Amino acid sequence: MQSQHSKNDWQTAGMARRAKGWLAGSVTLGGMAAVLFVLHLTLLAGLIDDLTFHSVAIAAEQHLLILIAASLGGSLLLQWLADRAGMQAGLRIAALVRQDALRHLFRVGPVGCATLPAGRILTTLTEGIDALEPYFAQYIPRAAMMVILPALILAVVFHLDGWSFVILACTGPLIPVFMALVGYSAQGIMDRQWMQLVVLGSSFLDSLRGLSTLRQLGQTQASITRMAAATDAHRASTLSVMKVAFLTSAVLEFFSSLSIALVAVVFGARLLSGTVDFRSAFLVLLLAPEYFMPLRAFSASYHARQNATAAAARLADLFALPDMQTTDRIAIQAETPLSPIEKLVCSGLTAGYADNIPALQDLSCTLSRGLLTVVTGESGAGKTTFLRLILGFLQPSSGSITAYENTGLPLADWQNRIAWVPQRPIMTLGTIADILRLAKPDATQAELRAAAQQADALEFIETLPQGFETSVGERGACLSGGQIKRLALARALLRNPDILCLDEPTSDLDPASAQRVAQAIRRCAAHRIVLVATHHAALIALADQTLHISQGHGEIFSANQRACA
Amino acid sequence: MNLLTFSGLFTRALRWPALLGLALACVAALANFGLLFLSGWLLAGAACAGAAGLAAQQAFNMMLPATGVRFFATLRIVTRYLERLVTHDASLRLTGHLRVWTYTKLAPLAPARLTDTRGGDLLSRFVSDTDRVGQFYTETVIPFARAILCGLVFALISGIILKNSGYALALGVLICILPVSLGVGLLSAPRLRALTTQRGDFQAELADTLAGLGEYLTLGAADARIQALDAQQKTLQRTERYLAGLESGARSLITFIGLLTTLSVVMLAVQAFHQGMLSAAEIPMLALGCLAAFDVAQPLPAACQAFTRARIAAERLDAACSATPCVPAPATPAPALHTPLDLTVRDLSFHYPNSQTPILHHASFTIRQGERVALVGASGLGKSSLISLLTRFYPYQEGEITFGGQDLRLFSTEDLAKTISVAAQNFHLFNGTIRDTLHLADPTADDAHLHGILRTVQLDEFVQQAPHKLDTLIGDEGMALSGGQARRLVLAQALLRNTPWLILDEPTEGLDQKTEYALMQGLLSARPDATILCITHRRTLIPFMDRTLTLADGQICPAEEVP
Repeated sequence: MQSQHSKNDWQTAGMARRAKGWLAGSVTLGGMAAVLFVLHLTLLAGLIDDLTFHSVAIAAEQHLLILIAASLGGSLLLQWLADRAGMQAGLRIAALVRQDALRHLFRVGPVGCATLPAGRILTTLTEGIDALEPYFAQYIPRAAMMVILPALILAVVFHLDGWSFVILACTGPLIPVFMALVGYSAQGIMDRQWMQLVVLGSSFLDSLRGLSTLRQLGQTQASITRMAAATDAHRASTLSVMKVAFLTSAVLEFFSSLSIALVAVVFGARLLSGTVDFRSAFLVLLLAPEYFMPLRAFSASYHARQNATAAAARLADLFALPDMQTTDRIAIQAETPLSPIEKLVCSGLTAGYADNIPALQDLSCTLSRGLLTVVTGESGAGKTTFLRLILGFLQPSSGSITAYENTGLPLADWQNRIAWVPQRPIMTLGTIADILRLAKPDATQAELRAAAQQADALEFIETLPQGFETSVGERGACLSGGQIKRLALARALLRNPDILCLDEPTSDLDPASAQRVAQAIRRCAAHRIVLVATHHAALIALADQTLHISQGHGEIFSANQRACA
Repeated sequence: MNLLTFSGLFTRALRWPALLGLALACVAALANFGLLFLSGWLLAGAACAGAAGLAAQQAFNMMLPATGVRFFATLRIVTRYLERLVTHDASLRLTGHLRVWTYTKLAPLAPARLTDTRGGDLLSRFVSDTDRVGQFYTETVIPFARAILCGLVFALISGIILKNSGYALALGVLICILPVSLGVGLLSAPRLRALTTQRGDFQAELADTLAGLGEYLTLGAADARIQALDAQQKTLQRTERYLAGLESGARSLITFIGLLTTLSVVMLAVQAFHQGMLSAAEIPMLALGCLAAFDVAQPLPAACQAFTRARIAAERLDAACSATPCVPAPATPAPALHTPLDLTVRDLSFHYPNSQTPILHHASFTIRQGERVALVGASGLGKSSLISLLTRFYPYQEGEITFGGQDLRLFSTEDLAKTISVAAQNFHLFNGTIRDTLHLADPTADDAHLHGILRTVQLDEFVQQAPHKLDTLIGDEGMALSGGQARRLVLAQALLRNTPWLILDEPTEGLDQKTEYALMQGLLSARPDATILCITHRRTLIPFMDRTLTLADGQICPAEEVP
């Protein structure tokens, strides 16, 4: 699928291909609107000429009035549709890219995503992708219009008057040249002040982020003064860049004003001597400002291009994250009755994160059906790494994990039969039933009850005012920590997994709730492999075996051995 | 609250730049009008004179109108440039003013009232909101003031030539301002508000999805999640489409009204011409002037939408800034601290304001001045929360903390900062150089002193090898440093402040044993008299401390008493 896209597809040109139709439509409609617009100006010039110099009665011009209004109306309608088509192209591309990016992130998995700062992924997905929209909606159609409308006007003027044609034909192409020259020097100034602009520009956010730190450093008052100075310095240096940057539009303004003035004066002299007619002169005067209008609109949307290019670069970073290299787990698997996983054999597992020392070294163990295994060890010792390997979020650098069914044959795709209860389970906004059905959208009420019963959650759910239909509030605000854990456990059980992994299921819980959760977990181990990372003594006491991990090395004890130790 | 007063446009410092910007904007619009008005007259006048014969041709003075045309052309170029510069300056001033104001209001609220429960980036929102309100000047005030003022002047000028055409022009511009633009404003306002909520929801959902990536995968719910987010995004885009369609539709309507007004002005002018009240040359002049006049009405629909956006931003800023601090400032100025600076915690219970999970449950302990105490316990149990309590970031629900024999509640965070230095795990490093970072803690320290402190925290070698030494940039949030380096820099800040109390949160995380040992040795010999509370889960630090406290089940007790 999208993962086969070449890297180039996340450049703006590649994205444009995904809404070709809408973009082409926008440009075509815009072109038609331009033709009607020039027509309406031609008719208007004719009307005024007729009425002023040819003593035509107003009554005789009624059809012309209607025609003028109709052609402008038509032009505006077409332009409005062109704008909509452009916007549709932009929104469509943004939506598709966002969807692809999310799909890709799911394929990369939680461990891969953690290599980029979480905040950056989020802003790339929101503001970054939003920045693509104006580029496709405005920049591209306007760039096309910058060619179409001036060419059309030039063609009309060519038929009307040679001198004006020369003036417009000469000034038109000069503008981009001068704008580029000025823009180039503005960029130079900007580059020289870049660091200063960035540091000063972000000082407000930086100070806000560091407010607690500043308070603990006793720098609150001083930081206010510093902030005021920084905003003022930022204004001053921004302005020094703007002084030059605004010259680009001044160039445009210069040429457009100049050519209007030139056309007026050149025509004036010839009108006086009677060598041209008023109609053409007036039409050229009407057309001259429109000749420069698309250029002005285009340069106004120039920053859209810069933003989009920056966003595309950040998106490319995101799409460069490597996949988890397991089978595609995004699509929901068809539930064919499979023989249960009998045991999981880990042999010689070594794994780590980017160019650091391995977090786990040469770990071997066997996890069997019906056994509750706890993983213990100090934080940072490698417990989480072990769980990530089992869950398939991380690939071992050497060693393997193999699943066997009861016939002794190895199984493929076994990682689809794992359920996981993390430390902070997902609590979406909705009812208890909605939360449970995340795991199995078509689960019946009976299935929900059964899962809740197993997880020791049924009792509290039934005491809630609307039972399974009770809303849990934002992030489960209406539930206690223990209730959230048991609900997440019920959800995990709903898929009837062969392997159940839990990460610190009793942390943040008071002793009584912790005990209930521990008992519920113990019961789950009856027909499956259960793996729990924990510090909790009561839970460790309930386990059949303990995998103790210390500085990346694991050692397994059975319950009896532990009792002796 | 009124947006105009809220934005601070009327404060003394901003009033004149703002007015100057407006004046320039008006002059630029008038120059544009004058340019086309006069050009129209020039052409038609020349054509008339040309048609009337040789005498008229010679009587026609081209010099004066031609000079006028050039004057207006030059004026338009210069004023449009200055207008952009001055209005941007005023807008930046406005934003700066707002930011300082916002910052001053937010300072006492940090961190308890500034944590976003919904995963959105609350702090970035302050940046965009202050920007929005600052742009309110360029995007709303200028277009509206210009349309009203210049519309009047245009109508007046046309009215002097032909009374009825002045009325027609005034009516046309008025229709553009009142029913059309305000209509857009009224229709957009509810959608813009909806859009703000939808954006917030979408961002929160995205953040939740990213945080729960693994669980969605194991639940087999990834695909459903992508679909759900896509549906949400489609709703969002529908609103955006509606708003953009409304704005561009209204803009087209204004152009159309401009043409209708021009046509009616032409009719009126032709009538007057036939009645001998107007010369022929004045017909094209009025027509062109009328077309040019509607340029000022074009940005109005967008200005109305910008107004609502700025209003929403201002309301959010106002609401956030007027929140009451979680820990109220002490009513009286803080009393002087008495020595010995003993810390006594009795029967302390604490949970975070937005949660019911108890962090501390009737905890008691004492630390005497000069003691070095380690606090150990599993992660996530609230060791770091204790720092928040001791520095008065959060209020505690039950029990009592005394410092130097006085109730801790008599002191604010800033008062306590004079006595207690903290090297916290979540400490923020500001974008700047290493020297800037250290000067934040002690602005008077000279380079020799800074190097000395850096040696103590085992960072001097790194700084000496860095290309710019103390002037090395540490990047946004210290991104150019490794985690261990960042932590040691924070430690250096705490040491520089030279306070009698030091609270260290995992000071040696990410260090190898040799560096850890050297660091702790250096630290203790640099500050032999300091009272140290060292929060850690590393057993290797315990030998450096006098005694150890353990946090478990919301209780804090001496290590040996833990079962």
